[in-house]
Amino acid sequence: MRAMVIDDSRAMRLILRRILSQLDFEVTEAGDGAQALESLNGGYVPDIALVDWNMPVMDGLTFITEVRKRPELRGITLMMVTTESEHDQVVRALAAGAHEYLMKPFTPDAIEDKLVLLGLARTGASA
Amino acid sequence: MSTLVAPFQEDLEAITADVWGSFLDVDGDTPLVAGAPHRWAEHDATTSAVVSITGAWQGHVIIECSARAARMVAAALLALPEDEASEDDVADAVGELANMIGGNVKSLVASPSALSLPHVVTQPGSHQSWPGAEEVCRIDGAWNGEAVTVMVYAGVNEGKS
Amino acid sequence: MSLSASDFDFVRQLVYRESAIVLDRSKEYLVEARLAPLVRQAGLAGIGEYVSAAQRGGRPAQMKIVEALTTNETSWYRDSEPFQALTKTVVPLIRAEHPEQRSLRIWSAACSSGQEPYSLAMLLSEEAGLRGWQTEIHATDISEEMLTKSRSGRYTQLEVNRGLPAPMLVRHFTRAGAEWQLSEAVRRLVTFRHLNLATAFPPMPAFDVVFLRNVLIYFDMQTRRDILKRVRGVLKPGGCLFLGSAETTIGVDDGWERLVVGRTSVHRARAVALAGSNGTR
Repeated sequence: MRAMVIDDSRAMRLILRRILSQLDFEVTEAGDGAQALESLNGGYVPDIALVDWNMPVMDGLTFITEVRKRPELRGITLMMVTTESEHDQVVRALAAGAHEYLMKPFTPDAIEDKLVLLGLARTGASA
Repeated sequence: MSTLVAPFQEDLEAITADVWGSFLDVDGDTPLVAGAPHRWAEHDATTSAVVSITGAWQGHVIIECSARAARMVAAALLALPEDEASEDDVADAVGELANMIGGNVKSLVASPSALSLPHVVTQPGSHQSWPGAEEVCRIDGAWNGEAVTVMVYAGVNEGKS
Repeated sequence: MSLSASDFDFVRQLVYRESAIVLDRSKEYLVEARLAPLVRQAGLAGIGEYVSAAQRGGRPAQMKIVEALTTNETSWYRDSEPFQALTKTVVPLIRAEHPEQRSLRIWSAACSSGQEPYSLAMLLSEEAGLRGWQTEIHATDISEEMLTKSRSGRYTQLEVNRGLPAPMLVRHFTRAGAEWQLSEAVRRLVTFRHLNLATAFPPMPAFDVVFLRNVLIYFDMQTRRDILKRVRGVLKPGGCLFLGSAETTIGVDDGWERLVVGRTSVHRARAVALAGSNGTR
């Protein structure tokens, strides 16, 4: 499985990369939505994108909206991973086309639970 | 009247504890302890990270910590030895800490409000001012004996909501 | 924080006596991890001090240890497959075998902080095929503290982060300060009560389905056998039991028929063992 981690914080990208690698994901990174789109345009299509909301250049909500406009990218599962945690924000992200939503802070188990829920990992995949 | 009411202090403590428990104190033996004695000498370099909330509620969430604590944050988040954390690493990590606490604070106040990207300042004994805003809530904590303070400032004109 | 042999022994015997849960030496790490927060909360220096204090402190102090060791951290829709099997296989089975039936009664045993029974409640309330049905979920746990927490339907952000599908969070929860509050409509579907699996069950209605997951592993063989037998006694003939993915009825209690559904299994109570010669229908 391939995952793209889109977050402006290098620390957060690294945290997610560590967790995903343990679950046997191949991980790529992007520092904002525009960089991520560029990489998608370059032909790299991951199984899942973990998307921060607040980022410079292009935020995560815009990124998700853009991806959802493009039928050829329909296969990508989109999960917001953000500190935005109002009820309304979750609603907005889902309406824009996010499949799942995880609020920061999170534990590694929470990432695994969501991936299991999305059918992208199996229970107990991390040893 | 601000929308920040009495339970807010408790909520801020819960948010901070969750952030620590998830990323900085995974084994549960190095929590951020409020009110504990800590080392914070006058001449110490200070790192502060700020995220601002604008919209229906106006204010700032500020993390201020000793340079050592900031390096420890970077070391923990980036899984590095402390002495290998660069200034960029420190700014990124402490900024992300402010982002996480700030975003959760935003969920407690009037919406719709927006969260800024974090702004990080590293300098010895820097003084910062928050015009038009005053402190409504703070945690003075110690983490591994190092000073870490979390503050929430709210706009003094707050109350339109 | 490390645990001396005599302290471990005290904890092991205490937990066995109160809950019939077996803690062998390999669970030492679990004991340390679960007691560490209590030690800190009490402001004590070490686990040894805490155990001594509990020895002197009598039952209330000791029950805190039992609770710490018998409650599980739980996710929503834990393991996912049993929930899919419930709606995709078990419910259709019940409809096929009992066309007149318009009610579904489920027991979520050892429900800890309530994520399992509430997951069931949300899932079934959204299940189109069950519209017009009466759904009842009975949830039990040994810990009063957990029951109180469960009844409140209030969860921290870290808790709602654990496996709760975002669309369900949005539909059934509202923000309450730094926490999330489950709706009254979902809470109403679940009844919580105290129950110790290791002892005789109080009078209970007959269930269509029992969720008894990741609990048996804590008990010794004889207690497992007793529990499974008593669970059969409260299941309707042909009723379905879900166990944890590492648990089985095989070699423990032979009153079950195993039905493999995807990567999970459903254990159906054999009619003969229950209702004599009447059969399932």
